[in-house]
Amino acid sequence: MTAAIRSLGRAGMFSLSVLRASKPTTDFFTELVREIYKIGGRSLPIIAVGGAFVGLSLTLLGYRALETYGASNQVSVLIGLGLYRELAPVLTALLFVGRAGSSIAAELGLMRATDQITALGLMAIDPVAKAVAPRFWAAVICVPLLTAFFCSLALSASWFQAVQILGIDNGMFWQTMQDAVDFRGDFLIAFVKSAVFGGTAALVASYVGFHAEPTIEGTSIATTRAVVNASLLVLMFNFVMSAFLFR
Amino acid sequence: MTSARGPRLEFAVGAFLLLALASLLVLAVASTNGQFGFSRGGTYELTARFTNLGQLRPNAPVKIGGVTIGRVTRVDLDPVRFDSVVTLAVEKRFDEIPVDTSAAILTGGLLGESYIGLSVGGDLEVLQPGEEIAFTSPAVDLMQMVGKYMFGGGGEGADAASPAAPEAGTASPDASPSDEGVLP
Repeated sequence: MTAAIRSLGRAGMFSLSVLRASKPTTDFFTELVREIYKIGGRSLPIIAVGGAFVGLSLTLLGYRALETYGASNQVSVLIGLGLYRELAPVLTALLFVGRAGSSIAAELGLMRATDQITALGLMAIDPVAKAVAPRFWAAVICVPLLTAFFCSLALSASWFQAVQILGIDNGMFWQTMQDAVDFRGDFLIAFVKSAVFGGTAALVASYVGFHAEPTIEGTSIATTRAVVNASLLVLMFNFVMSAFLFR
Repeated sequence: MTSARGPRLEFAVGAFLLLALASLLVLAVASTNGQFGFSRGGTYELTARFTNLGQLRPNAPVKIGGVTIGRVTRVDLDPVRFDSVVTLAVEKRFDEIPVDTSAAILTGGLLGESYIGLSVGGDLEVLQPGEEIAFTSPAVDLMQMVGKYMFGGGGEGADAASPAAPEAGTASPDASPSDEGVLP
């Protein structure tokens, strides 16, 4: 019990040290650009393909369910609200955890195993500022943008499925969605959510990697724990934020 | 290494950010209701009392002739008269609503959402901010209406039909003697 509280406290102190170590130096921005490319730009394909297939299957599901009530041309209400409120932020964050969180944990774990973190400290370079803070901010910036990609691909795929294949009217599709999706209540909150999820995923992954056992096995354990813990935290935070932010 | 990969990397990151922001913008315009919230506060309040709200909720639209001119901001119950008091926020540019305007709680379609429809009157006097709309009609309970029709108003038709049933069951094709009995 005390051990659990202590590890929670260590994670909280680590998060604070990341925030304190984020200073806008030239080196920070160089690292930030590289990390945005590595964890944001390189995650694009998986996000795009994932979004497209989620859009397709969600349209089929909504069509099937609404057909019962003769309201199948309202399927875009379900797609718009479902995507912005829950699916896009959560699924993007989960894909991001699998794609980028694991690599953050593995990188930092290997840095720990090969004593690079200690070496940075010996050279009076703050290892948190050099290795963790750019990754954290890159995730906070990238995950909302990746969510935007997810949404646009999902909406395009769902438009294709609904209008071109299932035969829902094009104007009806967009108009019912625009009537249902509120800009501030649904759309903006989706991106607030995904920024929180990105920060959470990066913090968990870098915390686990940073404090990994300095062995090969320790690195693999850290990678696993990063994915498991970050995914669970994302799902829990999603419920909490949904409960408080949506009316 | 940084100098060799720098420009290409920066270009890639820039392209990624630009593309992402562009898709955000397109999504915001194409798939939301466009309530960007820049010109908020251009509304004034009216109240209305109803005996029954039905499914009316805060944020329901207020319409004149099908065009949305405002929103329901608050729904409350008068603790003395037990009327439901609805507060409406109407856009400032519609500030010449006559005092004899009546408000009704309507439903869009059979299963649609409730909204407040205003029928504009002809009085020269205009409703001031904070004033109450005097003429209101409550929400129509569809299930009650269906029930009344089935068990109340429909009774006469049912009585007329019931004597015919045994007749049809016992007799051969020339059952109704009034007009077809002469044929065979």
